[in-house]
Amino acid sequence: MGKMGKAWLVGVFVFILMFAAACSKDTDKTDMSDSGSKGNDKTEGTVSLTIGSWRTEDTANYEKVTAAFNKKYPNIKVEFKPSKNTEYNTILNTALQSGEGPDIIHLRPYAPGIALADAGYLEPLDDVKGLDVFPDAALQASKGSDGKQYGVPVNMSTTQMFYNKKIFKDLNLKEPKTWDEFIALNETIKKKGIIPIAIGTKEGWLLSAAHGIIGPAHYGANDFVDKITKGQTNFTSEEFVNSIKAMEQLKKYFPDNSEGLGMDDIRTLFATGQAAMFPMGSWEIEVVRGLNPDIEIGYFPMPSAIGKEPTITAWVDGSFAVNAKSKHKEEAKKFMEFLTTKEFGELFTNEFKMISAMPGVKSKDELVTSLSEAVEKISTPYMMVVYFAGGNPTTKVTLETELQGMYLGKQTPEGVAKKVQESADTWFKPVQ
Amino acid sequence: MQTMLQPNTTKQKRLKKRKRWGIHLFPIPALAIYGLFIVYPQLAALTYSFYDWKGIKRGVFIGLDNYKNLFTQEPFSGYFWNSFGHNVLYFAVQMIVQNGLAFLLAFIIYQKIRGAEFFKIAYFLPRLLSVIVVGFLWKLILNPNYGALNVIFGAFGLENLKKAWLGDPDTALMAIILVNCWFGLGFAVLIFLAGFQAIPRDLLEAATLDGAKGLMMLRRIMLPLMMPSIMIMTVLTFIQSFEAFELVYAMQGSQGEPYHATDTLAVFFYRLAFGGGTGDSTAIGLGSALAVLLFLFISVITAFYLRYMQKKQVDM
Repeated sequence: MGKMGKAWLVGVFVFILMFAAACSKDTDKTDMSDSGSKGNDKTEGTVSLTIGSWRTEDTANYEKVTAAFNKKYPNIKVEFKPSKNTEYNTILNTALQSGEGPDIIHLRPYAPGIALADAGYLEPLDDVKGLDVFPDAALQASKGSDGKQYGVPVNMSTTQMFYNKKIFKDLNLKEPKTWDEFIALNETIKKKGIIPIAIGTKEGWLLSAAHGIIGPAHYGANDFVDKITKGQTNFTSEEFVNSIKAMEQLKKYFPDNSEGLGMDDIRTLFATGQAAMFPMGSWEIEVVRGLNPDIEIGYFPMPSAIGKEPTITAWVDGSFAVNAKSKHKEEAKKFMEFLTTKEFGELFTNEFKMISAMPGVKSKDELVTSLSEAVEKISTPYMMVVYFAGGNPTTKVTLETELQGMYLGKQTPEGVAKKVQESADTWFKPVQ
Repeated sequence: MQTMLQPNTTKQKRLKKRKRWGIHLFPIPALAIYGLFIVYPQLAALTYSFYDWKGIKRGVFIGLDNYKNLFTQEPFSGYFWNSFGHNVLYFAVQMIVQNGLAFLLAFIIYQKIRGAEFFKIAYFLPRLLSVIVVGFLWKLILNPNYGALNVIFGAFGLENLKKAWLGDPDTALMAIILVNCWFGLGFAVLIFLAGFQAIPRDLLEAATLDGAKGLMMLRRIMLPLMMPSIMIMTVLTFIQSFEAFELVYAMQGSQGEPYHATDTLAVFFYRLAFGGGTGDSTAIGLGSALAVLLFLFISVITAFYLRYMQKKQVDM
């Protein structure tokens, strides 16, 4: 037995040795290749950067971006390496925790991105030239709690009421200028047997998105946002409760069985002309056109119910940041600088069909240009994403869940407001 | 001859000895993999659960606070008991519908009806599909506006039965559990059928001679002898229903929508540990605490149940 035990031990030992040897061999190899590329750096001066992102669908477009960048900096090779949208955060977080990760990081906007900056994983970018072309509202998406800038904003997303131009023309309808006109419009469409608003309540995020469009018309857009972020009002206030009541009021214009419909269902309803309006984000324009190339999409800003200006809802959807552990920070900052140029802004809007975070950039797409002009003039922030994406579960998710409950008859508008405030109370600190 | 054989046998002995030596090396790769991918993550989760987490950054050691918060702090405690209740229902319905039906079907197939082989395969077929595919298919079938189920109801004039099955909190959870039963039925049938077939024929013949037949035979003779397979299915169903995740996630997302009507402990865990959606916040400490509790709960109950059932087993 004694012998046997020894044999066991020896076996384990040998295995560990082999394992260790295999590991060290691996590291040797990577070291070698690393020093090899460093050698190349010296002789040819080329550096390779990687970009981590969740936009797998943009890979081809980013190749155009890096090509344009290489015209200026032929010695900095940039590789776009995206991972799946829903897994990106996990992959990135794990990499950052172990001191790795891409050189350039596509940063989620606001709270989640800022959390990475506050944890010390990102390089401050205050010394990058050209950052001043962006308005403060755009820079805010990646400003750390220490006041330093950690990201270059890339694109804006907007949410607004899209409509099917053909249906509006056939029914002789005009874009509404007041809330009452909006309700009257819904009635007319419903009477003609067309679904007024394509929305489903099965997926919670559709509800916070819709509230982001419809809410400002009732709580009074930017004034309210200003007050609530300063702690001068809260979610149980009459204005906010009214915005929830408005959501309830619209239920009669939703499709049948809306509690069972998700994103795919409502997109199909709108794209196939079964529904006239679609409260959705700018990122869906291309998807809807892909489903039905003949559709003519228009949009209107949400008319106010309390006599204020109509609004469209906008926020920064993504920024680029530099990994604090990157070996080539200087080169990565050169890329950041490129992101602030008009050349990139125009390339971005035209190739990606998205709204550039840079003011004054024109797109060849009429709808996109019109939206980006509206962003500069009449935008209000998507309050839940910009200011209330903290807490666990986040205040935004709380709003989604409770709105869902309201549409299922399990919650009142006042109850929704109360729950949202309770969630904010657990973490939100007003700005002084 | 003998002298010639002598060295040969000692060589064989030595070989045999060496062989015994070698045997002990074989489990090492498996143990290493098991250690790296099963034991290590569990120990890691255990340590994680004692720390305060700020996003993905580990903060200070806080002892059992995460466990306490899980039970005392809203909304977590609400979610916890809500999910726990759903898991219990999951288990109960699967035991009654899936395993009950499977037992009956296995008994019928055991009677050597015509096409027994065909039915065996037919019941098992859904099991070959990936859970994600199953979820997707049933989402299509249960879609309120064009789904097959509502279309069939409509065709028979049963308009009032048409529903948003997955959108209505009263039906969503039950719909998912029943889909799970449909998915798991074939496996249970196979286990029970194997159990029936393992009952010695002569024992049944002896019982017949003694006058047992029909239901009496099933209840008094076969049921006690089926205990091992019933036990296995109960344990497997228990573990599976308290770990229920994939189907809920595939059909209702990580929020257990609508209005947390389909939330289960594992889905709640996923939400805590990895965040509810794109860019959502995480609570790794709470998530780890929940994972540890879930592990303890399942293993303790399973161990007790196995002990208890072992005592009740009948020898054939």
